[in-house]
Amino acid sequence: MKNKLVRNAGREVFGTVLMVIVALLIGAILVVLSDNQPGEAYSTMLRGAFGSTQKITELFVKLTPTLIMALGVSVAFRAQLWNIGAEGQFIMGSICSMVVALYLPVPIPLRMVIAFAAAVVAGGLWAGLAGWLKTRFNANEVITTLMFNYIANYLLLYLINGPMQDPYSDLSQTDLIPDGMRLAKLIGTYRLHAGIFLMLLVVLIMIFFWRTTLGYRINLVGQGEKVATYSGIHVKQTVVVTMCISGAFSGLAGFIETFGINYRLLDGIAGDAGNIATIVALLGSLNVYGIIAAAMFFSVLLCGGASMQRMTDVPYSVVDVIQGLIIILVIAKDTAMARLNTWFGKLFARKEKEHVE
Amino acid sequence: MEQLAVKMQQITKIFGGVKANDAVNFSLRRGSIHGLLGENGAGKTTLMNVLYGLYQQEEGTIEINGHEEKISSPIKAISLGIGMVHQHFMLARPLTVVENVMLGKKSRRGILLDTKQTAEELKALSDRYHMGIDPYSKIWQLSVGEQQRVEILSAIYLGAQILILDEPTAVLTPQETEIFFDTLRKMRSDGKSIILITHKLEEIISIVDEVTVLRGGKCVGSKLVDDSVTKDELTRMMVGRDVLFNFPPVTKAPGGVRMKMENLSAVNDKGVTALKNFSLDLREGEIVGLAGVDGNGQKELCEVLTGLRPNSGGRMLLDGEDITAQNPLFYIRHHISHIPEDRHATGLAMNWSLKNNLILKRLDQAPVAKHHLVQGKVVDELWQKAQSEYQIKAISGDDEARNLSGGNQQKVILAREIDSDPRVLIANQPTRGLDVGAAEYVRSKILEARNGGTSCLLISADMEELLQLSDRIAVIYGGELMGILPRGTDPLTIGSLMMGKRLEGAEA
Amino acid sequence: MWSEVFSLGFLVSLLAGTIRLATPILMPALGQIYTQRAGILNLGVEGTMLMAAVCGFSVTAATGSLWFGFAVGVLTGALYSVLMAWLSVSLRVNQVIAGIGMNILATGLAAYIYRLIFGIRTLPAKIVPFQSLDFFGLSKIPYVGTVLFNHNILVYIAFALVPITWFILEKTTFGLKIKAVGEHPRAADSKGISVSGIRYAAVIIGGAYAGAGGVFMTIAYLNMFTESVIGGFGYIAVSVVIFARFTPGRAMWGALLFGFASALQVRLQALGSGIPSQLLLMLPYILTVVALIFASKKAEFPSAYTIPYSRMER
Repeated sequence: MKNKLVRNAGREVFGTVLMVIVALLIGAILVVLSDNQPGEAYSTMLRGAFGSTQKITELFVKLTPTLIMALGVSVAFRAQLWNIGAEGQFIMGSICSMVVALYLPVPIPLRMVIAFAAAVVAGGLWAGLAGWLKTRFNANEVITTLMFNYIANYLLLYLINGPMQDPYSDLSQTDLIPDGMRLAKLIGTYRLHAGIFLMLLVVLIMIFFWRTTLGYRINLVGQGEKVATYSGIHVKQTVVVTMCISGAFSGLAGFIETFGINYRLLDGIAGDAGNIATIVALLGSLNVYGIIAAAMFFSVLLCGGASMQRMTDVPYSVVDVIQGLIIILVIAKDTAMARLNTWFGKLFARKEKEHVE
Repeated sequence: MEQLAVKMQQITKIFGGVKANDAVNFSLRRGSIHGLLGENGAGKTTLMNVLYGLYQQEEGTIEINGHEEKISSPIKAISLGIGMVHQHFMLARPLTVVENVMLGKKSRRGILLDTKQTAEELKALSDRYHMGIDPYSKIWQLSVGEQQRVEILSAIYLGAQILILDEPTAVLTPQETEIFFDTLRKMRSDGKSIILITHKLEEIISIVDEVTVLRGGKCVGSKLVDDSVTKDELTRMMVGRDVLFNFPPVTKAPGGVRMKMENLSAVNDKGVTALKNFSLDLREGEIVGLAGVDGNGQKELCEVLTGLRPNSGGRMLLDGEDITAQNPLFYIRHHISHIPEDRHATGLAMNWSLKNNLILKRLDQAPVAKHHLVQGKVVDELWQKAQSEYQIKAISGDDEARNLSGGNQQKVILAREIDSDPRVLIANQPTRGLDVGAAEYVRSKILEARNGGTSCLLISADMEELLQLSDRIAVIYGGELMGILPRGTDPLTIGSLMMGKRLEGAEA
Repeated sequence: MWSEVFSLGFLVSLLAGTIRLATPILMPALGQIYTQRAGILNLGVEGTMLMAAVCGFSVTAATGSLWFGFAVGVLTGALYSVLMAWLSVSLRVNQVIAGIGMNILATGLAAYIYRLIFGIRTLPAKIVPFQSLDFFGLSKIPYVGTVLFNHNILVYIAFALVPITWFILEKTTFGLKIKAVGEHPRAADSKGISVSGIRYAAVIIGGAYAGAGGVFMTIAYLNMFTESVIGGFGYIAVSVVIFARFTPGRAMWGALLFGFASALQVRLQALGSGIPSQLLLMLPYILTVVALIFASKKAEFPSAYTIPYSRMER
């Protein structure tokens, strides 16, 4: 009986890996079209990701925010809440923690704690607001969280060009945070920093989270409003709480990136992190272990992709295309696999018939 | 001179490896009413969907008026003069009657709609059959009976000579059914051939000329219906054995009043009053049956009683304690169980495992949850117990609810709702859509709960079920209580209350 | 500066800007009325517009023909949305995720195509965009002429599409079929209407309209392509459809409202109003959220909205 479930899980993983390979193959075609060697491109990518100790530490630098945000996004997705505003929640977390770091006149250790809390709360509230608008006004959360991304981005631009701009610089950025507030570097001058422990903590929490009653409730809301209400769950409240939790993770990621890597606010701090979090969550089937694997794969893809762009003529957008293909292939996977199955089934059935005749 | 309008031979239709129809033969004589009898899942609707071109058969042939035809789509069926009125109406609610009719035909103005002309013709046809349908009214404005007439009107307008009716009386009161049968007889005398899909034996006896019985996807046989045909005979054909109508005897007389509803009122989703000053008492160890045509406030009543819908007036008492207008969790904790009408969207989380479905309502109660963590071991034990006690046929507790048959799904719900030691059990259409065996099991469980002291409110559209199980029968119409009748009341009296006739000197 | 804000000249340029900037929202919004009425929520409009913007622009740059570029833009929109139709209608996947996936893929593809065609460059490639018509001198009419008769041809096409779309939806058999598959696909199916066929058509038409809106940005509003050229207009268009409760007339007013917010932002910035430009740039996005808040409760969504159809399932 258990075997059947294990087999299903195995099939699921196999399908996902197959789809990723298909995406990489299509990526190879694009590499060829841009007059490059796909073999060279992918080997450069691998060397860029694993080529040296420093490069391997970079993988973990990339992994930290990616994994945290993807896990956060997955909390909302499990409840069928399509929070695609991880980017905005990340930015709001960064901004609020930075405001605390630069302006709150309290001793540094305390300021650090408050900055941490500010990031988590800001990210949570920014997402929670979208959740509240959904429950209160039936406003589609996809559109609101997305609009909140634009708003957060322009708020960031405003702050780094205006009130929070570094007074000693013409650049669009804030002053650096004091040395004492930076997350400790772990290996010499490499960028790998103490934020990785926060990531491990988050992973640990998430492994337990889906066994808690709150985790069950969030899952149940994802099964449909009717059955959730029938089961005694306060759906609206749970929706808002779910969004808050989901956003808090991205806020936390904002804190980690700001205090571990950038040490200041600047344009484009979130990069493509929101989209990547979405893809990683879906690629990992919203399952904690799946997401860990997907996040690792994406760290390789992103770090390797960046060095591929530096070392070869292959445009970085190929990496973006591969990401897009992965998400589409992964969602198409189940139906596509089923069709393949029947197709193969028919093929074999026909052969058998021929044998009989 | 008799000629066959339809001759289906050796029809086989397979869904995912399961034979829904297995070499079925079916013949319809022109100008007759032909009953297609069988339990749920016997393959009646599938067979008719094949005839109507919605499904294509894997094997077998169809002849219409003596010519072999390949019915590849409903369009083809319509062009052959076949019309079908489905159990769930095929009408788009925000559109008008005429718009719905125009969907099924070619416009005479090319790509433009010929609304005006069609509406006039429809009006004429409606007048000729005394149907009283305004082509320009929107579907959602019409009553269920009117919608059914729209469906029939539409089929006739589109030239149907062969009319397939799928469980047409399920939504009608006994009186409405009589009027409906008169219309059918009129249509028969006009030379139309009618197929009546049903599982109600009375209908077969009272109106049908010939009956074909299906069981488990196979054709059991056909018979001309005359006075010699008995219900028992048909039942045996349909079920393959005698149905036990003997339930465990009532061991205890009802006790004191447990739940009191006083002048409950509520509005429906559209904001219209759906429940008006409804008062009813449920006594300990008693089943009160609630009769009524679908959509007369039963759903709203259940929802008010379980906190899923706010009431707009009145109050309810549980053993003297005021429990009005609380949240669903409150009623769950007060052991008010609820078997909802809609198994799929409300009663079960279809993508969840069976064992998780067992604990839906106990997510934060010990021993299922301790320190906010769900205890896997406890859940496993609960499942083991439920599976053996309720004979749930499933591969394992980790199987998803969606993979189970309707009967087994209902057993999971029963295990959850009855095993939680309920003080009150609200069962809304608990046997709808189940095959006879499963329905029998569900009824016996409800009776068992009653004998254990639970107060039960049984809402059902199945008159026979109500008569068998209920200690008293209350009738609801337009959201109001029409009266409360004792055990053993004549079905026609109940029917007249279901039509809105108030019982003289009613308790209410 | 505030005296300038209340001057007639400012008002005229503001209103003219409103109409011009309403166009790239109006076109996709009208298209999405077909799509959403058929029961499909296509959030991939954003990416569809981006694809059309880059393809139409590239063709115009290569051939020098604006109309050829426009046609390619429309065609690109239609073709790219086939992907959405395939995912949502044939494979019946979750439409929200499919839309997000479409957009992420488009971001990469558009950048890749641009890079492939134009290479790495310091200055963006430019073309000569559609010019304003003057309607036999009507544009010379003081004020009114500037507001109404001083736009390029695509603006007029967009507004002409409003009654055309209404007519198709309300007066033709095709429009009736679209509404039927969005409301009760099983009923439509039982009446012999191909649910998949109509839904494919509705998604593809929506894509073609979106393509027109996307290519408008690169060959009529601007004269170049950037990766952020669409900037959320696709999502705004989707919310305009909900705001407009799925009717073309109201969608026009919705688009004008957003055009107004965008134009106000542009005009105030040009004026050097002292309000930081970044805050002004937020305006359309905040307005979208506000509009959704006010419209969503009232909107009667099609019954089969976002629900895939299968004949085999009940």
